[in-house]
Order: sequence, then structure tokens, then C-alpha cells
Amino acid sequence: MEMRVHADLRLKDVPGQLVRALEPISASEGNIVGVVHHHDAVIGGRITVNVTFEVKSQKQLERILADWKERDVDVARLSSMFETFEFEYLIVGDIPPSELRELTDGIESIEDLDAVDIRYSVSPATGEKAAMIFGKVKQKSAIGRVEDFLRQRSMHAGFLLISGLGD
Amino acid sequence: MDIVIIGFGTVGQGVAEALSRKAPTLQSAFKEKLRVVGVFDSKSYDVQPKGLDPREVAGRKQKLGRVGPELNGRGVLEILEEVKYDVMVEVTPTNIKDSEPGFGNMMAALSSGRDVVTANKGPLALKFKELSRTAEKHGGRLRFEASVGGATPVINLCREILMGERILSIRGIMNGTCNFILNRMKDEGLPFDQALREAQEMGYAERDPSYDIDGIDSAAKAAILANAIFRRDVTFDDVRRTGIRGVSLEAVELAAEEMKVVRLIAEVSESRLEVSPRLVPMGHPLAIGGTLNIFQLMTDMAGDITVAGHGAGKMETASAILSDIVALLKEDCAARKAES
Repeated sequence: MEMRVHADLRLKDVPGQLVRALEPISASEGNIVGVVHHHDAVIGGRITVNVTFEVKSQKQLERILADWKERDVDVARLSSMFETFEFEYLIVGDIPPSELRELTDGIESIEDLDAVDIRYSVSPATGEKAAMIFGKVKQKSAIGRVEDFLRQRSMHAGFLLISGLGD
Repeated sequence: MDIVIIGFGTVGQGVAEALSRKAPTLQSAFKEKLRVVGVFDSKSYDVQPKGLDPREVAGRKQKLGRVGPELNGRGVLEILEEVKYDVMVEVTPTNIKDSEPGFGNMMAALSSGRDVVTANKGPLALKFKELSRTAEKHGGRLRFEASVGGATPVINLCREILMGERILSIRGIMNGTCNFILNRMKDEGLPFDQALREAQEMGYAERDPSYDIDGIDSAAKAAILANAIFRRDVTFDDVRRTGIRGVSLEAVELAAEEMKVVRLIAEVSESRLEVSPRLVPMGHPLAIGGTLNIFQLMTDMAGDITVAGHGAGKMETASAILSDIVALLKEDCAARKAES
């Protein structure tokens, strides 16, 4: 699971401090995505550096934060978010409303799911039914598990499953 | 270059017309005489070692329903044994069950070291390896641009122009009839059956539409691409196939509310071989309307490349066959230059 972290660091305005601040990220096998160095804004003898990096776990981030504390790197602001991957499917057939609960529960039980939403539609003229399923997962591989579940469910119930392009 | 045309329906007649129109230009460009020395349909034939007038044969076919004397129980291959030719243009109808008579015709030509140019999907989708091994063994060349995408160049684009690229995957709309039906459902709010009837009335779909709407045609093309571009050893039966019969108007409308269209997409890569309806964002190249075919190639260096064009039709298919004949002429010309 990739976690993207944005940190505003306040470093002493002396040579070597930036390298010293970035070392804990590399040492923890984090991936540095971007660094913006604000030389012009010196407050209290410290300059601000915005660092964006990716880590695989909360534990890895906590190790980096501990290292910064030891090195007297002041963390002014920290925000993090997990990278998510979207999926979308359309199910067509004689879908009873009770099936929606089954579908939601089944997808929600899949590991690394972030969110799922279902839109259900019934034609007043013909009674044709369709359900659009949207969602997000925290690991790309989880999309395969969602698809496997929906394929099995559709095959069992005789629904047509239409998947997105996955781009 | 002496050519025989096997199969003289719409496509065969288109090839005859294309050769009549383009032969003078090609002869002057490649310094090689281009002659049609034999034409065969299912029940008759015409053979002339000095060359036939393809337009005249096509006129005869339209007027009399045959190209010349009846076969009278003789097989095409039996007559062909007495004909001196270099290239067989094999355009008999696709047979996805046992690939005949196309497969037998192609094998006869290739095993005698002749070249084959074809639009016939059956043999390529069922027995690709056997055909290519025979061609390799006997020094014949097998070209089949017209079998996938009609006039849209995809096979030769991948195998020749993009030879230095690694093709990661190909996705595309490979059946114009399905695209027409799905597009009419969305644009006009027509139920599936009505859109299909319209396609039949306009001549896009056959009376038995299963070949198109059950994804059989697209799956045959996907198998050909898997073998030819990804060097896989697959047949039509290996394609995971879902057609568009179950796509309801309600589903199309629900997708449209989310700015999506439903398209029958064939997807081929080293690990995937599938034909199925997919949700495509509006504005995406694969959301193309009408009866066009479109192919999106994902490559390792050039990124995404998209080509679109007419996937079927008399002159469109003939154009793809002509492009293969030109490729053979070009190779022969280069070989002659290298020898001299």
C-alpha cells in the first residue's frame, strides 16, 4: 500500500541540513517525489523545505519522524494520504434489490477496499434493471479480487458484467 | 508476379477492381508485370496463363453468376496444380468451425513455396501456427493485413513500422456492426432488438447476426493479433468471449448518466485475450461511433498509438490486400537489387 506524505520541514539555515533531513527517508527505503527549498523565507534562523515522499506503511513513516526528531528537524506540518485505484462495473440482468446488499457486502469484505458505491436503475417502461458499481482500492491487485468476485456472482446469477477500461 | 484469386464474392471482385486500377502504377514502380492468371469462385473458374482482364471477369460474374466454365466436380486445388502462379489471394468466406476451404487452399500454396495474401480469418484464427510453419519451411510468405481491421493498418503497422517497439497491449473495436448497434442504442434510445433490426436493414448485419453480436468475429481477430503480434500460440477457442446480446437500453442509459458508453472491446496482450462489452469514458478514442474500427496500441517507447478506419467493405478490404501485394513486390524488388 503506497502512502504519499507531504511534510513542511523547518531546517537550520546552515550547509548540510537538507541532506541531513532527507537521509532518514532514503534510509527507510522511502521514495522522494519532490523537494522545494524556500531559501528566501528565514524565520527564527530556520528555512522551510516542502518534501513529498512515498512510504509503504505507517510504521515506516513513524521511523522517519523519529529520526527527524533525533536530528532536530522541526516538522511544521504533515499530511498523508493513501494512493487509491478506481474500479467501475456495470451489471445487467434481472437484479433483485436484495442482490445489491449481497454485492456491497461481498465487495466490502475484500481486503484493501477504500470505498464502494452502487447506483441501481429500473426502467419504468420495460422493467429492465442495471446496477453501476464504483469504488476505490488501496492496492491495484485488489481490483482483480473485486473483478473475480463480481464475475463469479454474475455467472452464478446470470447477469452480464461489463467492466471499465481500467485506465 | 502472377496472381490467382480464390473466392470471387464481394472481396474477390474488389481485389480484381483494385488490381485493374493500380496495376499500371505498381508495374512501373517495381518494374514487374502484375497479372491475374486465375480466378475461382465456388462453382466455376477462369484460367489464362497470359493474364486475365480482372474487370472483365468481374463483369461476367455479375452478369452470369459465374466467372467461367463450371468446375464440374473438379476441385480448385486439382486445377491449380496445372496453373503457374506466384501469389494466391485467398478470399473464400471465413469458416470459424473448421477453417475450410481456406485452410486447404492456403496450405497447398504455401507448401509449394508460393505466397499467400488473405482476408480469411478462419484459417488464421484456428491454425495460425501450422500455416506459418509451412510458409517458413517452404519459403512462402503469408500476409493477412485484411483479416483484421479491413482497411485500417494494424498488423503490418505492428510487425513492420513498429518493429523496434515492444507492443504491450492492443485494445480495439474490431466489429463495426456491434459499434453501430451500441451507438444507435445510446444516441436514439433504441432497444437492442430494434437497433439490430436497423443494422440488418442497412446491410451491416446478416440475417443471422450471431457472428457479429456474439463476438465471434471480434474473437477471431483477437486470436489473429495474439498469434501475429504477441507470438502466442492460441486459437479462436482460447478467447474469453462475451457478446452484446445482453446489453439492455437501461444499462446503456445508466452508463450515459455517468458519461460512459458501452463498446464491444477486444483486448490482447501477452497475458490477456478477451472480447467483451466494456465501459468507455465519453471522449475516449475507443468511444468512437458509427461503423468504424479502432485500435489502440500501447507500446514501450512510443506510448499509445491509435489508428481508426473502415473495418469492412469491398474496396476497403481490397485496399488492405493490395497493401500486402505491394509489400511482396517491394521485397522482390529489393531482392533483385541485392542480387544484381
